[in-house]
Amino acid sequence: MNVFARLEHAVTDQFEHGDLPQWLADPALEVAHAPEQYQDNEYLVELLLEQVEDFDVYAEAGCCKWAYDHEDIARTLKWLKEAK
Amino acid sequence: MAVYLDCNATTPVEPSVVALVTRFTRDDFGNAASPIHDYGLFARAAVERARKQVGKLVGARPDEVIFTSGATESNNIALLGLMEHGVKTRRRHVITSSIEHKAVLEPIEHMHRHGFEVDIIPAGPDGRFRVEHLAQRLRPDTLLVSTMQVNNETGIRQPLDAVSQLLAGHEALWHVDAAQGYGKELEELRNPRLDMLSISGHKIFAPKGIGALIVRKRDGSFPALQPLVYGGGQEQGLRAGTLPVPLIVGLGEAAKLALREQPERHATCVAFREEVCAILAKLDAEQNGTEEYTLPHCINISFPGITSAQAIKALKDVVAVSSTSACTSHTQASSHVLHAMGLPASRVESSLRLSWCHMTPQVDWDGVGAILRNLR
Repeated sequence: MNVFARLEHAVTDQFEHGDLPQWLADPALEVAHAPEQYQDNEYLVELLLEQVEDFDVYAEAGCCKWAYDHEDIARTLKWLKEAK
Repeated sequence: MAVYLDCNATTPVEPSVVALVTRFTRDDFGNAASPIHDYGLFARAAVERARKQVGKLVGARPDEVIFTSGATESNNIALLGLMEHGVKTRRRHVITSSIEHKAVLEPIEHMHRHGFEVDIIPAGPDGRFRVEHLAQRLRPDTLLVSTMQVNNETGIRQPLDAVSQLLAGHEALWHVDAAQGYGKELEELRNPRLDMLSISGHKIFAPKGIGALIVRKRDGSFPALQPLVYGGGQEQGLRAGTLPVPLIVGLGEAAKLALREQPERHATCVAFREEVCAILAKLDAEQNGTEEYTLPHCINISFPGITSAQAIKALKDVVAVSSTSACTSHTQASSHVLHAMGLPASRVESSLRLSWCHMTPQVDWDGVGAILRNLR
């Protein structure tokens, strides 16, 4: 499974079973469905994949940040859009 | 150009690692400690991603990964960083083995000069330190046990499982110098009893100058380490200094590849080993240490009647090999590891270390054989 297929799977899973909101899931799925547009930015796509996999609404809570929150994902989506 | 067979000294760098290091040097050069603009935010995101990648290989959480300049610095923090705690708690006994790298033995000598009692456990001709001696030396006031995972000169895997069983229920901290095994032997480093692990980037196809100390929490607390360098509070206060983002990203990528490609790399090294062993058998080489415990990418052998220096010089246009640790080879001193294993001086002085990797090209083994036969 390549990084785009894994991203699609992770986004779907986090949207349906986790707390990933639709306003992040939709643009993340757009990336997953457009490998031809993002294949030169695989590092950012991998970063987005890890952030989606480890998404946690409460990532900023507590003493240590172990997960990613909506701001992290939104920022990476912005970088991907800029790099496209 | 000779084929490089000295991968235990340093490995070539993976092309995708080179690409990322270049990118984060040339284009995305932000400071991870300046997350006030996109340059800094991207650098911070890249560092935190690398931290996860490095920790994932050994089942450590990201906050347990402290980036350093390499395993030598990691070893120094793990050992010297505990001195103050040892003095305060009156636990000033340390155990290590006679076959450790100088990056462990020399800090421990420093501890000894400052009032710590040190026990150095011996090794056998099989190349492994003797766990039964460790059991005899362990005391209620033992602060730290420091053992390597894989020996750098022989490639021999050390008995970490036995040490883990021995230390179960004991308060002593356990540090493992995993410079030669991290990214190659994955499972045993996931043992939760391991308190501290030292790793090095340039042994796993990342650049030199980057490594990590992985420090596991026990009962919710980190070991009471003190930093050796002050000024900035980076890396949870344990390692001050601006983070070298390109090198950290390179180490993360190398860790990712090590996890993903481990089975293929292992198989390639095993196949290469079969060729190496076939030619060495024809040359009557004597293996130093036991084959059963040796990782597939390394072998230490002696050629009776041929000194290491003669062999290295004669082979230099065909293969690049070494006779001892890269960190001590410049001193011309013979191997303290092979001596500690009880090998006779003649055998130590005729030892060679061959170490390869999944990127090693084919070798003209017939040419190697002819050169060595001519030396006899």
